[in-house]
Amino acid sequence: METSFALTGKGYVIVAADTTSARSIVKMKVDEDKIKTLSPHLLMAYSGEPGDTVQFAEYVERNIRLYQIRNIYPLRPSAAASWIRRSLAESLRSRKPYSVNLLLGGYDTATFDPHLYWIDYLGTISEVPFAAHGYGAYFALSLLDRYHDPSASLEEGLATLKRCIDEVSKRLVVSPGKYKVKIVDKDGVREVEL
Amino acid sequence: MSIMELNGGSVIAMVGKDCVAIAADMRLGNQALGISSKFERIFPVTDRIYLGLPGLATDVATLRERFRFRVNMYTIKEEREIQPETFAHLVSSTLYEHRFGPYFIEPVMAGISKTPSGAVKPFIAATDLIGCLNFAKDFVVAGTASTKLYGVAEGLWEPDLEPEDLFETISQTLLNATDRDAFSGWGCIVHIITKDKVVTRTLKGRMD
Amino acid sequence: MNTFATKFSTTSAVGQLRKAQKLAAEEDEFSDAAWGSEAGFGNVAKGAPSFTVPAIPDPAAFLRLHTDDHADPSCRIKIQHGTTTLAFRFQGGVIVAVDSRATAGSYIASGTVKKVIEINPYLLGTMAGGAADCQYWETYLGMHCRLHELRNRERISVSAASKYLSNLVYSYKGMGLSMGTMICGWDKTGPAVFYVDSDGTRLKGDLFSVGSGSTFAYGVLDQGYHWDLTDAEAQELGRRSIYAAGHRDAFSGNTCNLYHVKEDGWHFIGNYDVSKMHYDGPGNVPGAPGHGYGYDIRVEGRSSANPPEASS
Repeated sequence: METSFALTGKGYVIVAADTTSARSIVKMKVDEDKIKTLSPHLLMAYSGEPGDTVQFAEYVERNIRLYQIRNIYPLRPSAAASWIRRSLAESLRSRKPYSVNLLLGGYDTATFDPHLYWIDYLGTISEVPFAAHGYGAYFALSLLDRYHDPSASLEEGLATLKRCIDEVSKRLVVSPGKYKVKIVDKDGVREVEL
Repeated sequence: MSIMELNGGSVIAMVGKDCVAIAADMRLGNQALGISSKFERIFPVTDRIYLGLPGLATDVATLRERFRFRVNMYTIKEEREIQPETFAHLVSSTLYEHRFGPYFIEPVMAGISKTPSGAVKPFIAATDLIGCLNFAKDFVVAGTASTKLYGVAEGLWEPDLEPEDLFETISQTLLNATDRDAFSGWGCIVHIITKDKVVTRTLKGRMD
Repeated sequence: MNTFATKFSTTSAVGQLRKAQKLAAEEDEFSDAAWGSEAGFGNVAKGAPSFTVPAIPDPAAFLRLHTDDHADPSCRIKIQHGTTTLAFRFQGGVIVAVDSRATAGSYIASGTVKKVIEINPYLLGTMAGGAADCQYWETYLGMHCRLHELRNRERISVSAASKYLSNLVYSYKGMGLSMGTMICGWDKTGPAVFYVDSDGTRLKGDLFSVGSGSTFAYGVLDQGYHWDLTDAEAQELGRRSIYAAGHRDAFSGNTCNLYHVKEDGWHFIGNYDVSKMHYDGPGNVPGAPGHGYGYDIRVEGRSSANPPEASS
């Protein structure tokens, strides 16, 4: 079962998503990257209906890029979140809606603070200090209520993420094996090994 | 699972003496799972009109954007602020435009309107999800706790309450009704609208 | 439909007549067991008690139709679904903690349910699933535990008690019983926890959580759990885990009931309001953190913004 987590800390957002791509009962791929870099300071983890996910993520990626080319400056996290939400909300009432759940993490270089948005396939949006999608959310959210600290250092943040991943591995029946972890902060986007 | 109960949340509006109050809870859920305790579902339309949008959370955001656009267009064309009665009809017709594929929202609105003589008149209204208007003289409720809100409001509301008493009444009504609803709660927000100011307070509610 | 309604009505004329006839017919048909004879074993001597079943070809299907509120929210027989219960074994005994909410659909029917059943001074059972099923069968289990004591001049082991319950509910498998329970206690082998459910599953273990909020409880419980917990730490962990579930799960909450089983039997530690724990913490009790459990309360004043030195 697909699971993704994200959490904010002092000046950064950590986004993590499992790397399995499953079809029926078979794992087709175990190193799929399900986190897209939308702009220098914006990350998006996507999960949901196979096919829809990559199609929608690339659609968003190209449009955010187009905006940056046209306007020199990229969209700030809150503006990007609003645009992505609206795309999903419009798609919901179309003939063939996208079933994609998103975690959008970005660093606002104008106000110097990280932002994290929880967005589901209906277009529901909520800005939160930490978030999760998939069955992992049922284990991770209570854990994060207990251990998350918005002013934590990167090491502490990664340790908290490790707790989430360990907990899901321990309790979830069909838990994903590996996770890809990316960080966005004032210096931009980078990937880390956990 | 009903789509109206997917995200949870409730709104209530009440009439007082030359004032109105509108209040809502702040839970955003995904069925039984609570996602956020800071979800706003009441929005200012003008300085004197507030709109509450309980129902499907994606439509809360969509309708909020839509009404902001339409009210702005009205203001530009008419060169004046929209009146509560007019806004109610705008809400109604916007929802009915989607008669065969509705927004899953039951709006509640509260405002103060001016009569030609210069006096003020409190105004509340609610519609169903396809825009059937209900102008009430006492209170209107909507959302997952609506049945519970009706019960408590019937017991607590009385006519011609002063702003502070109205605040107490609407707060107690919402707090106690949401305590009996699994999908509402996680904090509340109350707006008291009088002719010269709006007072907004957040309430400490049960967090379970 | 009308004939069907009249058939089962208790207030109609036909119903009254039927009642009267039945009463007259049964006048002298009370069994000796009803009067408490048979040396007091009247209702246990024949093994498991018998139940009246609906007079239709497939009683189980009938019950399923009328008790499953997923299929039909307006059904008459409501079964309690939302719950969080947990129990864990540690160095100092067993901690049992439960919430107290009962829901019927989205309606919170009660916030003061006792979900720990005190089977006897050394045994506790928890309640998840059908409230009546758990209450009845665990009380019934208590009866048999007492009989075991009288017959064998020693207390029943937790293992044996849970096996008894497991076999009992397994014999009703497919009939619509719904229970997920933890049988906890202290016997010759020390502290013990067994998970028993109406499927017939029986598991021995150190740590269990059952109910709609169990995943949230596990999230906190697993991370804080180790065998060498002190009594205060263990009680705090139980409370904190129930709070976590009460907070995130719509169908759990209101209050937390906490029990601690030690060598001399169980002790009721306290009843804690979930909302109070959120804002102020559990109060002045051993292991309390001195502040509210709530996320916003815990991290108040901290920010994730990092403006550069020059601009701040």
